[in-house]
Amino acid sequence: MPIRFHRLNDQKEVLVNEVGDHLVVPSGTFARLVQKELDKEGEADLYGDLVAGHFIAESPIPTLIDVLATRYRTKKSFLDNFTTLHLFVVSLRCEHTCHYCQVSRVTQDKGKFDMSRAHIDKGIDIMMQSPSPHVTMEFQGGEALLAFDNIVYAVDRTKELALLHNKTVTYVICTNLAVINEEMLNYCKENNILISSSLDGPASVHNENRKRPGKNSYELAIRGIELSRKILGKSRVSALMTTTNLSLEHPIEIVEEYYRQGFWNIFLRPISPYGFAVKNEAKNKYEMDKFLSFYKKALNRILEYNLQGEFFREDYATIILRKILTPFPVGYVDLNSPTGAVTNVVVFNYDGAVFASDESRMLAEMKDFTFQLGHLDTDSYEDLMYGEKARKIVAAGTNESLPGCSDCAYQLYCGADPIHHHATQGDMIGYRPTSTFCQRNMEIIRYLIELMDSDKKIKSIFESWVKPQF
Amino acid sequence: MTSKNRIQNGEIIASVDGSLYSSQTVFKCTYWFGDKFHVNVQQESGDYVITLRPMPNANISEGELPYYLQKLERDLVDFHLRDIVNNETGSIRELLVAKAFSNGEYDEAPPGEISDPVGFAPLV
Repeated sequence: MPIRFHRLNDQKEVLVNEVGDHLVVPSGTFARLVQKELDKEGEADLYGDLVAGHFIAESPIPTLIDVLATRYRTKKSFLDNFTTLHLFVVSLRCEHTCHYCQVSRVTQDKGKFDMSRAHIDKGIDIMMQSPSPHVTMEFQGGEALLAFDNIVYAVDRTKELALLHNKTVTYVICTNLAVINEEMLNYCKENNILISSSLDGPASVHNENRKRPGKNSYELAIRGIELSRKILGKSRVSALMTTTNLSLEHPIEIVEEYYRQGFWNIFLRPISPYGFAVKNEAKNKYEMDKFLSFYKKALNRILEYNLQGEFFREDYATIILRKILTPFPVGYVDLNSPTGAVTNVVVFNYDGAVFASDESRMLAEMKDFTFQLGHLDTDSYEDLMYGEKARKIVAAGTNESLPGCSDCAYQLYCGADPIHHHATQGDMIGYRPTSTFCQRNMEIIRYLIELMDSDKKIKSIFESWVKPQF
Repeated sequence: MTSKNRIQNGEIIASVDGSLYSSQTVFKCTYWFGDKFHVNVQQESGDYVITLRPMPNANISEGELPYYLQKLERDLVDFHLRDIVNNETGSIRELLVAKAFSNGEYDEAPPGEISDPVGFAPLV
């Protein structure tokens, strides 16, 4: 059968079949398998595992090929409904001056930096043309709540049109919570709007990352989380962290802060490529080494909580583990093949420009418009989503055909990120040996498989993470 | 038989038997050394001669070169094995993907007769 293999460590290697099942075996097994040296009787357990797991077949065309084809289709079924996530940058204004933020403006100029009602209307019209019966409308900034009137307008209009187009809509507001109040939260409750907030760690890290007058970003975030939970309920409020160089020195403190604040999960997001020195490959590799060390320390602290009987999940690992341990598709933009940019997400910027992803608009702020799909004033749904630029991005974001990825054992667990590679290497296809995207995912996937293989308790914990929670 | 592989003047030089290894194997393998080495592949009398010259900024000492030579030799075997699997099973992979996205066009009818004694499908 078509299988791939990768060395886990000196003693073990992992085999992965075409639908993402894996089997950890002693080093040298793949070589013996290819040379047809396995002893069917003498190694009955291994042989049985290989046949049952579709790593080998006893007939030229495997009898269950239709079942495998269905599983393959299921793995790729995130493509069925095409773009679901629609980001509306309702304002670029923000009262924070975070040093890593490329886009926000500290200004009162609503006319210049808030999304116009005409563009909101056109964005909603485009969203309603999505083939998906379910779409997500996410409000971003700047600080989205500074343009709360825009959010109210957009939600009210979308509700009417969703009925007409027979769509269900999930609403999300991304906010730093600094200006949130009861009136806003009551509106969120009435309209079933989720709050996605920002928490970078304890006050010492958060306030250093997220500068604002009064140096009280952390205090406002905690107050906002508590108020949001009180009005909306705990499960309606999530938090995301942005990883910075300062964060890398505090993995344990960050995890413990999330635990202390009562979160059941934490998303140890990769450091943004825009924090990297563009095209400085040696420095980027060093930075990624530091991130991987941070990630493992933090993950081990999370596992300690779980080993003590707590449920506390790391989200990046969970996305990868869903790919490894379940037959289901995972619609995470940065780990899809074809890439989730365009096929899963589209961004309507405050000025009407349309981008393939949130990172694409960051690049545009650096005067790189490679990933601008078009403009709400001039382009139709077909122009934006099926145009030449969209097709070029998706072609460069299909890891089945990328050099270095096409033979990789982790292909189905990973994805492709043409925007990251364009930003860091100047080429959408990218060069895997120096790619920090590849470096990060290869090592995290290898580490997760190694952990599961080395400790059955950890495997049980990981299995609990990928089960539906509610 | 002694190996022609060697370290010479700060470079790794490896000879690969062209009758055993495909050019695909050689290039897929050497691709991964491009972050640390200038890679050169040449053909001589049907064999491939691979030269790896450390990049100045890769900080590879002379003492580390035997490790990289061993890694190259091992990786060549790994990619050769992958090449064998691809050659032997490529058609199954294509069939599987074709079936997956064919909306049933390539599905085979289940073996045996389908009886309908209760008459659930009277129009058949």
